[in-house]
Amino acid sequence: MTELSEAAAARRDAWTQSLAEFEESQHVTPWKRTLERMRKNKLLLFGIVLGVVVLGAGILGPTISGADYTAQSFQNVHLPPGSEGHLLGTDGLGRDLAVRTFVGIRISLIVAAGVTVLALVAGIVLGMIAGYLQGKVDRTIGGVVDFVWGFPLILVAVLFAGGFGEGLFPVILAVGLVNTAAIARVVRGEVLGLAQREFVEAARAGGYSGTRIMWRHILPNILAPALVLASYYVAVAVIAEAALAFIGLGAQPPLPSLGQMVGDGRNFLRINHWESTVPGIAIVMLVLSVSLIGDGLRDVFDPRLRHEAKGVDDR
Amino acid sequence: MKRIAARTVYTVVVLVLSSIAVFYAIRLSGGDALAARLPASATSEQREAFRELIGLNDAIYIQYFDYVGRLLSGDLGNSLTNNASISTMLVDHGRNSLILGAAAFALVFAIGVPLGILAAVRRNSWTDGGIMSFSVAAMAVPNFWLALLSVWVFASTLRWLPSAGCCSPRQLILPAVVLAMEGIALTVRMTRSAMLENLNQDFVRTLRAGGLSEVRIVGKHVFRNALVPIISLAGLRIGQIVGYALVVETIFGWPGLGQVLVNAVLRRDYPVAQFFSLVLVTVVVLSNWLADIGYTVANPRLRRV
Repeated sequence: MTELSEAAAARRDAWTQSLAEFEESQHVTPWKRTLERMRKNKLLLFGIVLGVVVLGAGILGPTISGADYTAQSFQNVHLPPGSEGHLLGTDGLGRDLAVRTFVGIRISLIVAAGVTVLALVAGIVLGMIAGYLQGKVDRTIGGVVDFVWGFPLILVAVLFAGGFGEGLFPVILAVGLVNTAAIARVVRGEVLGLAQREFVEAARAGGYSGTRIMWRHILPNILAPALVLASYYVAVAVIAEAALAFIGLGAQPPLPSLGQMVGDGRNFLRINHWESTVPGIAIVMLVLSVSLIGDGLRDVFDPRLRHEAKGVDDR
Repeated sequence: MKRIAARTVYTVVVLVLSSIAVFYAIRLSGGDALAARLPASATSEQREAFRELIGLNDAIYIQYFDYVGRLLSGDLGNSLTNNASISTMLVDHGRNSLILGAAAFALVFAIGVPLGILAAVRRNSWTDGGIMSFSVAAMAVPNFWLALLSVWVFASTLRWLPSAGCCSPRQLILPAVVLAMEGIALTVRMTRSAMLENLNQDFVRTLRAGGLSEVRIVGKHVFRNALVPIISLAGLRIGQIVGYALVVETIFGWPGLGQVLVNAVLRRDYPVAQFFSLVLVTVVVLSNWLADIGYTVANPRLRRV
């Protein structure tokens, strides 16, 4: 009797040890493999280079040029690019376009970062809980997520602007909310599949708590697809912020946002179209680099997501 | 049938919940609403009296039931900024939005479906490549940027079309095309993949072996099968158009529901913002419901469940 239970205890210890080893091994190997694949993906590399350029302009540009993005000069309005002292020209108030574009990029990046962190954390937590616990919890979370997902992003953002007033905060919250739903849907699907797998069953048999299984065993497996998906929604966030700023609901003056600059410049298209084109090109570069990185990461990490990512377009 | 009934119940619940959500969201800005109506010189007593008058001092759920009651009895209230009747605004701007939305919706299918078929039939040719690159580009360009470019090219430079305004057919062209662009791009992709899926089926080979002309095979048999998923997802396109209309109407000065809502939010005219939020949310929820029904009807496997 005692012998048998000792054998059982030994088996359980062996299980626990191999599980612990598994948890250790999770940290290194898959990344080395994917790094190699990343190096071979030309479009991804191009996206990363473009991204670094835009990121550099946004982070370092305002500091290096040292110019004030609010400084007006009524002798120097509507200057074309290449004018003395103003590399990309000036706008209708004589403010330097280059500096304003750099700061605008910075704001786009802040919005994108806020949205992505919010959507990733909330989306993963909700999706993981729904997919792992299933049953009633799943139906409740699923209902709310479907409800949010059914709304056009811009409409949600306008509603939030109606509630909180214009500014960056409602934009981040609204886009973050819709993107949370998008990520939670995908994570839930992945977790539903993972919960049936042997290694989860083994962890459960090992007596680990649900929280620990979700954190140590399921999370590492869904992190890659969730990150890839999130990179898609960075592009969505940048475009949404620009569109809202364009119609006056995003960042408020004197803060320059790219969409708002495009909107301000449209009254002067015949005088100096660069006032709209420069920030417009910055938006396109930003979106392009993020989309290329998203595409590339998807190919590298998880080709199965190709199908899911198409759902992104169905807005 | 059971599925349709379940989706209908779900839709009603969603409508009620979203009306509450919209009401609460807009009420968050209730304090600022006073600024829209009262001059800056108003005393604090006058402000308080005005709050009492428009019911801002009641508990929020009482305000909600009050509001729903008034809506159901047909009293939509007036704008805070110019006292215009909201029901008149609904009729006028609703008509404009309907014209623009219907035009964009028609363009999505009138252009998207034929291009998708052409790309599928000539797959891997330069025609296919051209159509698919157009579709990728159309999805990558933000629509307000596209709006600006089209105004610059067709209105400012070529002077072919007016840059803004309402409501002649010439003024309709630019906003309708811009509003439809992303839907066109998506429909092209969906049509192409649905056609390709069916072109590879056994029944096509049988029809070819039977000596039917390629035009009849594609035009009649394959097309009918491919159309099912496209039509069934038409409801989703409506929701998408509603969302983008907020931006496109504002850019082109098209006086529709989207423009009214954006202006009301900017001016903190909360009765107007609240009502038109509810209208647009209802349209979106109903079109999602339609998409669900369409999907169920088009899928015999789901119909039986």
